[in-house]
Amino acid sequence: MTSSKNFSYSKTALLAGFSLFLASCATPPKPADSVDVDTHVRQPAEQDSAGVQVFPLKNPAVGGLLEDADRAESDGQYDRAAMLLERALRIQPRNPEVLQRMAEVQLSTGDYEQALNFAVRSYDVGPRVGEICSRNWRTIGVSRENLGDSKGSREALQRARSCMVTKPQGM
Amino acid sequence: MVPWALYLDHQVTTEFEGRKWDLPSRVYARALELYPGAVISPGDLRVELQAAGYRAAARVERPGQYRFSGSAVDVWRRAFHFHDGPKDETRFRVSLNNGAVASLRSQPDGRSIDLVRLEPAQIASIFPLQKEDRTLVAIADAPPLLVTGLQAIEDRNFKHHHGIDLRAIARAMLANLKARRAVQGGSTLTQQLVKNYFLTQDRTLLRKINEAIMALSLEAHYDKAEILEAYVNEVFLGQQGAYAVHGFGRGAEYYFDRPLNRLETHEIALLIGLVKGASYYNPRRHPERAKQRRDLVLSEFAETGLLSAEQARAAMARPLDVTASPRASGTRYPSFIDLVRHQLAQVYDEDDLRTEGLRIFTTLAPAEQEKAQAAVSGGLQDLGKRGLPKNLQGALVLADTSSGEIRALVGDRDPDRPGFNRALNARRQVGSIIKPLVYLLALEHPDDFSLLTPIEDEPVELRQPDGSTWSPRNFDGVSHGRVSLLDALALSYNQATVRLGLQVGLQPLVSRIGQLGVAADIQPLPSVLLGAAELTPLEVTQVYQSIANSGFSVPLRALVAVQAPDGDELVRYPMRLMPQPHRDAIGVLNYALTRVVAEGTAQGLPALLSQNVTVAGKTGTTNDRRDSWFVGYTRNRVATVWVGLDDFSPAGVTGSNAAMRIWGGLFAGLPLEPVDLAVPEGAYYLWVDPESGRLSAEHCEGARQLPFVEGSEPRKWTACAEKSQDRDKESIWKKIFGRDKQ
Repeated sequence: MTSSKNFSYSKTALLAGFSLFLASCATPPKPADSVDVDTHVRQPAEQDSAGVQVFPLKNPAVGGLLEDADRAESDGQYDRAAMLLERALRIQPRNPEVLQRMAEVQLSTGDYEQALNFAVRSYDVGPRVGEICSRNWRTIGVSRENLGDSKGSREALQRARSCMVTKPQGM
Repeated sequence: MVPWALYLDHQVTTEFEGRKWDLPSRVYARALELYPGAVISPGDLRVELQAAGYRAAARVERPGQYRFSGSAVDVWRRAFHFHDGPKDETRFRVSLNNGAVASLRSQPDGRSIDLVRLEPAQIASIFPLQKEDRTLVAIADAPPLLVTGLQAIEDRNFKHHHGIDLRAIARAMLANLKARRAVQGGSTLTQQLVKNYFLTQDRTLLRKINEAIMALSLEAHYDKAEILEAYVNEVFLGQQGAYAVHGFGRGAEYYFDRPLNRLETHEIALLIGLVKGASYYNPRRHPERAKQRRDLVLSEFAETGLLSAEQARAAMARPLDVTASPRASGTRYPSFIDLVRHQLAQVYDEDDLRTEGLRIFTTLAPAEQEKAQAAVSGGLQDLGKRGLPKNLQGALVLADTSSGEIRALVGDRDPDRPGFNRALNARRQVGSIIKPLVYLLALEHPDDFSLLTPIEDEPVELRQPDGSTWSPRNFDGVSHGRVSLLDALALSYNQATVRLGLQVGLQPLVSRIGQLGVAADIQPLPSVLLGAAELTPLEVTQVYQSIANSGFSVPLRALVAVQAPDGDELVRYPMRLMPQPHRDAIGVLNYALTRVVAEGTAQGLPALLSQNVTVAGKTGTTNDRRDSWFVGYTRNRVATVWVGLDDFSPAGVTGSNAAMRIWGGLFAGLPLEPVDLAVPEGAYYLWVDPESGRLSAEHCEGARQLPFVEGSEPRKWTACAEKSQDRDKESIWKKIFGRDKQ
């Protein structure tokens, strides 16, 4: 993928509802207080799930975008990774893996609110069991902690550890 | 003389120094993603290709062409700078089967590819006030033949003179004397540029002298490359409607639909030939003249050694190759562009939009916009024929359920008419469209309400703030007695809804609407329960997007990104998720809204759709049949339609006789995915007997699966279920909820 500098200093604007409130802020390449997703989410989730994984159906187009997003992420280009994941979500809006990746990218940029929301969405539509379940809850936990909700964070980590013992609920 | 010259020097350098071209902003639709499995009909693909400026060709020989052969389409995509980076041109073949992409192969090697994007359609330009259209070109990026050729034709001595060329002037004077009229000008490129700056074409001697002085001073201050770059971007090359085409960059797009650095020899020669008179040699209007002029330019290229005689001959043998008509650069979808400008206004002022050359990436889907326009215009005409007023107006908003991206927007029955945009600005009473929110509030109290909870559909009298009494009636004038929440909602009973609403509270209802993303000012009066609240179609769509997307609100947006012309600075409008509270209750309401279509007030809808997919929706009618609403959704699309008269007079419309027809007309032509019926954690589907309101089992007569928020499920069993479940009734709770019921 090209252009490592292009998006580093880009602005991010968000449009919030019809109150027509709009805020715009700079997203620096790697915020000082960002979270290392591998240490806090992916590795412990792998342990929680004891190797058991629930793979959603892979769409090659989505798979390619995920690979590109991975590369962007490891180069620290989080904005670019987010754009690629948004493309993937236009193709498969309910793919729990893509939603969780988006949550992890938001975690890396320090946007804990969106990290939390994407992780919750991923859990809602996901298998609610196994490795992805644990990543969901660990992301929720880290986000809550950073948003000042320590109790909620502890509960989330508890849920993460029980992703292997709780059976799927709902329909 | 000296002060005058100093004055002119100051003038021209200020002009040159401060020269920042005003560049129009370009607005793009969303880029169509093609991948195996992508749902798209051949007709829609053709619409998308044409909207993106592709031309059908018998042979695909260059970028921007396509060819249908059977169920396959060959496409040669142009190079394009997408909002996430530049992509090269590429050729590929799309094979379609059953309304979807069956395979995608790059051409000519036939290698299979996973994903390719079409460059997006340009749907509008926001022009500078002086009505100049321009695409900037750096002199270093201009084709060498353009740079040398321009000098060969217009100013052979450019490299050496100091702004004026006395020999050229003498030559011109001689020629003019011979012909006894002005046939030749001795102006250098520098003089021509000065003339362009000060925008006068009069040929007085004083003007000529001023021009010469300014040309000399420009040359004294700036180098040749700077002057040539200014010239290349300034020169007038044509007129598109009200907008003047300036510079070779825009000229290449205007005549050839390609960027300047992709032009071939004969095309560069044509553009250079136009400098002498863009209107006289207009290749679309006067192809003969244009060809003569072009060939003359080519022979001068050969004479001056820029081309070999052989190359010049080959170029002369080529046709003009200009496109039959320029790609539209004006506004294609004024209602949508209106929303784009509205959302842009949060960050950019009007002046930025007119001058900064921004590239604005939006969410519009051309094929869906075309269908939406046809559904509104055609639908309203049809209603006119059915005896409804001929001057009915309508509005439509169509969005992607999950991303909140607006795919189409119609604000007038005549889609090309700019002006009052009803989709954004028509605040009308919403009628029964509001009712589901009353039921949502009830379902958020699982101790008191489930879909099976009985309520009374009986007359109710309320004292209004003005002292009058309000006693709402049902649409059919009949009170239906004890009904379940599910039936009361599906059949849109007014009296039952008012009674329920008074229990859940008016202020909570108004607050809930706000929570769902609408900042409208609504008074908490009892009449709000039946829709005496004024919302725009866009706001209604926002409310229902949250329900359609399992309680994850996404602010509806028309913008994806805005980029500066160099592709560097980028403002993104990312997808933001805002989870609603009580998503379990929203999941239950979602199911109930599918029953509105299956057996309620919208049961006429499935017949309007060609596909048999689960759809959810709600009709709305206001007092005296002034407004007709229908809002509905599938897993992938949510849309609102409003129909009524601009002067608020009674129009004879109901939700199902007008707006629902238009909605159905649109959705019949869209690729649909059935409503997502999954419920989130905290809600469950159970087999129940709706008649008795008891728990039942799959094999029992009349049993039906309904969703319940945990804690709202019935406690008692039907006799049939009792019998079969007796043995392990205790463990049933464990089975369902994973724990014992308290």
